[in-house]
Amino acid sequence: MLRYLLCIDLLFCFITASAQLSFPTNEGERKRYSAYIEMSRGYISGVCILVNEKSIIKGSLFNEFGITALDFSYDPCRKKIHLYSVIAMMDKWYIRRVLKKDLVQLMSCLQHGKYGYRNERQQITYQFTPIADEVTQ
Amino acid sequence: MKKYSLLLWTFICVLSVSAQTLNDAQIRQRVNQAAAAMKTLQCDFVQIKHLKMLNEEMLAQGKMYYQQSNKLRWEYTNPYTYTFVLNGDKVLLKNQQRNDVIDVNQNKIFREIARIMMSSVVGNSLLDNKTFKTTITINNSEWIATQIPQRKDMRQIFQRIVLHFNPQCAVVSCVEMIEKNGDKTVINLKNIRTNETLNASIFAVH
Repeated sequence: MLRYLLCIDLLFCFITASAQLSFPTNEGERKRYSAYIEMSRGYISGVCILVNEKSIIKGSLFNEFGITALDFSYDPCRKKIHLYSVIAMMDKWYIRRVLKKDLVQLMSCLQHGKYGYRNERQQITYQFTPIADEVTQ
Repeated sequence: MKKYSLLLWTFICVLSVSAQTLNDAQIRQRVNQAAAAMKTLQCDFVQIKHLKMLNEEMLAQGKMYYQQSNKLRWEYTNPYTYTFVLNGDKVLLKNQQRNDVIDVNQNKIFREIARIMMSSVVGNSLLDNKTFKTTITINNSEWIATQIPQRKDMRQIFQRIVLHFNPQCAVVSCVEMIEKNGDKTVINLKNIRTNETLNASIFAVH
């Protein structure tokens, strides 16, 4: 019995730790992800950084070469996304609308320890894998 | 007397402008000569992405290989793995999820990316007057070429691209890309080795 309880306890700790790892819940905390967004016509890959600033999550998504695709903020209480900048080739009203809705879902998934979200209607898959911290120069 | 002074000043100004133009031209020529003589190049690089909105930096490292005239391998090794290989008309993109081979002739965006990466690495973008308006400044330890994009698609992304050259070998040592939103990416090339034999498999695109 004690063994089972210990196992459950360990499992619980593991799940909690995973959930904590996946999202910047504390003020000033930041998380980095390897981002992969697959659409029916192609895909975008790169890096996403999320920073918790006064309980608002600020995020940037850029490709591997460093070109920024998106700057956004997420209010976890109101479940709202604000897009600050979108790269010119994606800066269309209909893309912004889909992005806003999907990012709300994605942020919610990350908050709950899930690293991906799929928009079935638009057939877009978002996959965010945490990146280990800092490399030294 | 005033007239003579004015004439003298005008003469000095003209001389200074000519000297500056000559230096610019000489630098362009030397970079062009170095690019022509560069059969292969390999180096390590450190890329620092400055995010204005987040006030954050992201560091990435990797290796770069170039072989005249149209082969380039740009490989990120840390903290993420991503490989871009250009070999003639073909581009291989390799990330953790998938490998894709793209024909640059059928994809305008990749044709542009490939062209700009190649010309920036080698430095012959200094001669590309259609894509960039370039001004060159000289300081003690390097030549600095500031390139303002002239084409609409480039202007939508970049404010400017700054190339730093090592005057000793006229080879690029650092590339700065300043984006329209204020973000900046600095790529420092380190341990540069030129004209050494490279294995053909480095540029394989399958």
